[in-house]
Amino acid sequence: MGQKGFFTDTTLCIGCKACEVACKQWNQLPDDGFQLTGMSYDNTGHLGSSTWRHVAFVERPVPLPTQTVGLLDFSWLMASDVCKHCQRAGCLEACPTGAIIRTEFDTVYVQPDVCNGCGYCVAACPFGVVDRREDDGRAWKCTLCYDRLGEDMTPACAKACPTASIQFGDVDELRERAQRRVEQLHEKGLEQAYLYGADAENQPGTGGLNAFFLLVDKPEVYNLPPDPVVPTMKGREAWVSAGWGALGMAVVALGAVLLGREVVRG
Amino acid sequence: MGDIRPEDLEKRQDGRNIDSRLGDLSGEGAQQRVKDTDEANPSRALLRTRPSVSGVNAEEPSYYGQPALKEPVWIWSIPLYFYVGGVAGAASVLGVAAEAVGGEGLRKLGYRCRWVGAVGDIVSSGLLIHDLGRPERLLNMLRVFRPTSPMSVGSWVMVGSGAMNSAAVLFASRRGWLGRVGDGAAVAAGLLGLPLAGYTAVLLANTAVPVWQATRKSLPLLFMSSAVASAGSLLELLPHSSHEAKVLHLFSTMGKVGELMTGVAVRHEASGLEVLERPLKQGVSGTLWKAARVCAAASLALGLWPRRTRWMKVAGALLGTAGAIATRFAMFHAGKASARDPQATFQPQREAMGAAEVTGHTHASDGKPFKFPLPVLRETPRRPERPEAASGAWEPEIPVP
Repeated sequence: MGQKGFFTDTTLCIGCKACEVACKQWNQLPDDGFQLTGMSYDNTGHLGSSTWRHVAFVERPVPLPTQTVGLLDFSWLMASDVCKHCQRAGCLEACPTGAIIRTEFDTVYVQPDVCNGCGYCVAACPFGVVDRREDDGRAWKCTLCYDRLGEDMTPACAKACPTASIQFGDVDELRERAQRRVEQLHEKGLEQAYLYGADAENQPGTGGLNAFFLLVDKPEVYNLPPDPVVPTMKGREAWVSAGWGALGMAVVALGAVLLGREVVRG
Repeated sequence: MGDIRPEDLEKRQDGRNIDSRLGDLSGEGAQQRVKDTDEANPSRALLRTRPSVSGVNAEEPSYYGQPALKEPVWIWSIPLYFYVGGVAGAASVLGVAAEAVGGEGLRKLGYRCRWVGAVGDIVSSGLLIHDLGRPERLLNMLRVFRPTSPMSVGSWVMVGSGAMNSAAVLFASRRGWLGRVGDGAAVAAGLLGLPLAGYTAVLLANTAVPVWQATRKSLPLLFMSSAVASAGSLLELLPHSSHEAKVLHLFSTMGKVGELMTGVAVRHEASGLEVLERPLKQGVSGTLWKAARVCAAASLALGLWPRRTRWMKVAGALLGTAGAIATRFAMFHAGKASARDPQATFQPQREAMGAAEVTGHTHASDGKPFKFPLPVLRETPRRPERPEAASGAWEPEIPVP
């Protein structure tokens, strides 16, 4: 079994959206309608209940060492976004029904036959990945092709990726490979390259991502949060506060009765 | 290709384009029910109006200004539940206090509180079930107990409170051991009423939504004091005797004072960054927030007026109720607005108010140090001096009258 995950090397992405199509086809997900967004070649928008891979397109008026364009200061950023299958998953820790589980492959999976559509995971995900489909009533997200992993197959998106931008495998091995790739890119002069969420040290708020990324610009540019945190880490303070509030309520109730009662006697 | 049969066309309309003669629906997403594929992604409406500006070069970059988070999918019944659940919880607490230390004179108030608690719990579960995407699976809430999920904790608290309050109502004023069971149930309901009034705020704070997360220390106090104010106001509106009036007036007044004070605390806790505080100042949520403050203050003023007439009491209680409801809706809509704004997600994390607040690390996920708010940076940056002639050339001449 082991820890399975994705390493998405965005410097190799050519924006073909084969991952999006393969994901839709294999998982038999409905389309999202056919509208133009006006955001470069990105007409998908973002991840959603029926969209489990999303290719982001950024047209930058900045040159990038490994990209050669004619006269202009210009470079493309393309990145295939996906559920991160966090080590500390906000959705999983928030799910009140136990519908969201961690599988034997260390991935995070929503069981559609259990989910009752409470919507708490939607608000708890620090990456805005999981979403409730309104006409279905349940929460959906990338399963990391749980059905394919069980048959020892590569997830559909990684299988379809023509440039190995999406790489699937054991997370430990992917991490090493990614580290080597970063060094290689640094040697080539692309010093901006870094790994996003590769381990707990890089991203303590999530404990590291099973689906991590190689990026060359600020995470915000790819619509990724710069320092995400699983809400549960901060929830403790809210519980402590509620504890003091409970004490206050008890004092107020007793005080009101005692003071009010004395007046009656007097 | 053969003829297209009507049933194939129907299949196609689910947005999957699967020809039933060639393939069957068995994928992971095959069970997804589809009514309208165009509206599958709720932020589509927003996307259609966006111009093609990526914001990559901005000082605070974003991806075409798109939200980084998903907006909470909850509907009106959730903030209304926050109010009703708060009333039920606070009423149960007051009921126990009245029965325990109030003596025989406040016995009836205790019983009335049992009723308010029981009815409140039942209405609450109705409101919560109404919001579920799959209401028929409501019992799945009791499938597991998950301490990391305030919603799971809250579900158990609410079920417990509902059962205890119902038992307390059923066995109220019975004699013998049945009566003692009722009294015991009332005590249990009172104890469960404390978390019932406050867990909803913890539930909001325990999300990725920036304004809810940022106000995690004060929000439970606001919700709980507002629960006291709203339970007091409701009980003041219900028929009550003159010696109960004093207790209720004290209870609701303390609640309103607490509500006003903790409201300031919430506002202060959110004021760390302008983007966090914005939803409490602007838009629908900002208006609701102001309305809530005005209602609570007016209600308190009417309550403290020296010679209170009957209409003033009623108006004060109604205003208190309106203020408590508006508070919940304001925080609810503030969260929605906050989730829609990508900068509300990004900027606090860049100011080391993300995971760094808990784990104390010094670098963002891109390996760069956070922009720490060092004292040096707080000074107004000095602008580079421009040559006088260059700037002067652009200034329009002001005619001297």
